[in-house]
Amino acid sequence: MTARRIGLVAWHVFKESVRDRVLYAIGVFALLLVASSFLIGQITAGQDVKIIKDLGLATIELAGVLMTVFIGVGLVAREIERRSIHGLLAKPLPRWEFIVGKYLGLLLTITVNVAAMAAALYLMLAWMNWESPLNIRRSWDAPATDVRLLISVLLIYAELALLTAIALFFSTFSSSALWSVVFTVGLFIAGLESEDLRNFGDIVDAPIMARLVSAIGWVVPAFSAFDVKAQVVHGVHVPAAFVAHTLLYALLYILVALGAAVVVFSRREFK
Amino acid sequence: MSTVVRTDRLTKDFSTGFWRPRPHRALDALTFDIPAGGVFGLLGPNGAGKSTTLKLLVGLLWPTSGTAELLGRPVGDPVAHQRLGFLPEHPTFYDQLSAEELLVYFAGLFGYSGPERHARATRVLDLVGLGADRRRPMRQYSKGMVQRVGLAQALVNDPKFVMLDEPMSGLDPIGRREVRELILRLRDEGRTVLFSSHILSDAELLCSRVGILNKGRLVASGTVAELAASAGEGGQGWEVVVTSLPAAAADRLAPRVRRVTSIAEGRYSIELGSDVRPEPLVAELTAAGAALVSVTTLRTTLEDAFLKAIGSADRGQKAEGTGQRAEGGGPQA
Amino acid sequence: MTGRVRLALAVAGMAVGLAAAGAVLHARDSAYPLPVPTQHLLYLRSSRAATRMMLSFKSVASDVYWIRAIQHYGRERKSLRTSDRFDLLQPLLDLTTTLDPRFNIAYRFGAIFLSLEPPNGPARPDQAIALLEKGLAANPDRWQYAHDIGFIEYWYTGDYRAAAGWFDRAAKIPGAPDWIRPLAAVTLAQGGDRTGARRMLEELRGSEEKYVRDAAERGLMQLQALDAIDELQGIVEHYFATQHAYPAGWSDMFGAGKQPYDPARAPFVYDPATHTVTISPDSPLNPLPKKLQKK
Repeated sequence: MTARRIGLVAWHVFKESVRDRVLYAIGVFALLLVASSFLIGQITAGQDVKIIKDLGLATIELAGVLMTVFIGVGLVAREIERRSIHGLLAKPLPRWEFIVGKYLGLLLTITVNVAAMAAALYLMLAWMNWESPLNIRRSWDAPATDVRLLISVLLIYAELALLTAIALFFSTFSSSALWSVVFTVGLFIAGLESEDLRNFGDIVDAPIMARLVSAIGWVVPAFSAFDVKAQVVHGVHVPAAFVAHTLLYALLYILVALGAAVVVFSRREFK
Repeated sequence: MSTVVRTDRLTKDFSTGFWRPRPHRALDALTFDIPAGGVFGLLGPNGAGKSTTLKLLVGLLWPTSGTAELLGRPVGDPVAHQRLGFLPEHPTFYDQLSAEELLVYFAGLFGYSGPERHARATRVLDLVGLGADRRRPMRQYSKGMVQRVGLAQALVNDPKFVMLDEPMSGLDPIGRREVRELILRLRDEGRTVLFSSHILSDAELLCSRVGILNKGRLVASGTVAELAASAGEGGQGWEVVVTSLPAAAADRLAPRVRRVTSIAEGRYSIELGSDVRPEPLVAELTAAGAALVSVTTLRTTLEDAFLKAIGSADRGQKAEGTGQRAEGGGPQA
Repeated sequence: MTGRVRLALAVAGMAVGLAAAGAVLHARDSAYPLPVPTQHLLYLRSSRAATRMMLSFKSVASDVYWIRAIQHYGRERKSLRTSDRFDLLQPLLDLTTTLDPRFNIAYRFGAIFLSLEPPNGPARPDQAIALLEKGLAANPDRWQYAHDIGFIEYWYTGDYRAAAGWFDRAAKIPGAPDWIRPLAAVTLAQGGDRTGARRMLEELRGSEEKYVRDAAERGLMQLQALDAIDELQGIVEHYFATQHAYPAGWSDMFGAGKQPYDPARAPFVYDPATHTVTISPDSPLNPLPKKLQKK
């Protein structure tokens, strides 16, 4: 029964997000970015594959982040803001099931979108490959339709899964969608810089300050740790153990974020 | 079970103010029972705490102190919601969905599967008159239509107990009559209905029992008849409505009766005290050439009881400084 | 279980989860450090492109690159790689100083650390000199940069004529202190001389920049070590002269259990096979400046 209810909530979230026009706006934006990378590629001889790969992966990541923040936050925070949730909570649905269901639904949305964008990227690279003469192809660091790109896509997906959990957490406790977006984006940026925060002691002499900032760097979700775009584009080997560790990190942090969301949401009141 | 709702000194404070939060007491030691079967009306002016009470019962708010039980379980327990139907105060749902999709979704949450979900959704949407529009996205719905969706989703699970927060709001007179009929039908089907309203005439027509809230306190509760009786000062009487009565005759009538009101040219409403029988007057007026339209009994209305209860509560508050506390189930002492 | 207890347990569980997550990340970075392709760390390879694109954020960007330069240096120092170390130091400092040509500390830092020999630096005095020349072009009033170039030529490359030329030039910049003028003469006369070097270092020890002070301190200790090695070598030769055999170890020369230490508290090493005294390979003063080995 629990599983069915969670499934229903998740499916409902997915349906809603698919009909959300924001999704299509972001999709068009992503398409434009990738198209522009294609144009740039035409100009610089020989480097075009790298540029398309670079921009393509970056677009997947950026579009994914935008979707997560706006649709993810939108769905839950708006639901609370507009009071659509009042009717839902009168049903025999425990609050934790609501959170888990929302998360899984958002995750499904992200999965479909990342898969679609990755497929589009590969198509473009395949076309590039077909179009380029053999000598140009030999000059590339890595093949155009390099399967290893998927490693980067997988880690980007894990990054988005984590960001979704964080966005969901912020939606549950702040009272407006706007603040949830602000907090989520803020924490995302902090997470991108988390490595610098952790190594703060390298720059600063004051030990207390350095240790404090370093601690923050360890607690903040390390979004920079999912970035293997540079390696993958140049064909540098990324060990399977590295990927496994990273996924494990993501899983642990997601559980923490969801747990926090459940705790906050279970105690929350709705006026 | 015999009691669907039981509260014991249920209290709710909200903190207002950002810098130095002060508690605002929305509900003060509310104690009452709602027995199974029948229609219970929760009445009171705006801000009295009616919605707060319903939200506490359904688990949207947590009590500051005191306890409450819904269908035998502590409030907030989702298990009790299996047999509960709830219409929220300002229903909004999901713009992108159609009413049918919403109802099918909710039906699934109750545990119904597959075709049963669709059957229930269709049935309940027909019941509230949305059968034709059920596939349109709800962002195209008018306020009244959304209100009906709200009613529908409150009924999709065949609830034993239905709580409606301001069910008439947003509806035109036709809609309101339909809702009244629906409530009576629910009662006839053996369900218990609780609704909150500040429209007393609806309560008068529908409720077996009534509770009046003012500023967070229960100031009166009991059957409509009990409350009206307690408020009335023997205020029974008659109203006689006639047409084609010459004005001069009406003027001559005035000192003998309680009140004469001109409704239109030649049409008058005449109020008689309960000590005066209407028959002789009617004979006299018809002999004078008037035509009789109606003779009705006057009773003190719930409105009188309401105003009296609110008024005395306010006065009591001013006098004692603390306000009275009403026992559940009995007329105001 | 009451609500309070449940909440406390939940919070504790989350703290454990966060700690576990951090541990996993730390384990990953220690066990599988990923090599970072150069181009990507810099984001923008060409300084000129960077300048055009940064528009009004040049100052901030230069700060960012400066921080990255220091972090890069710190990380490379701790890293166990044996090749291509400090490879990003010069590009990062170059970017920093292109975006902000007045970034004084970047020039001074580069002067010192680009020249240092492994394991403490990339041993690229040429890059250091290029950076300082760039700094002088943008800030002609900075006599310190000219002096630093002179010092690098003296200490690292051993080109005494060039060193003297730079000291001369530094002395001619308005605002240069008086003690620079004699340096040119001293350099030409005594080139390769520890006394001259010692004097330069003592002056540098009074600099307002902490990096420079620390580097000067270390340089002085290296000179002391060189002096000590010479003395110890003298003792070895004296032993041979009197005993007609080379000593087998320190205890022969100083008594049982006694052992000489360098200014950084690392023991000096005596090799009985070659009869030479050297600094310990573990000493932080390694490597000693080659050009000043002779007195």
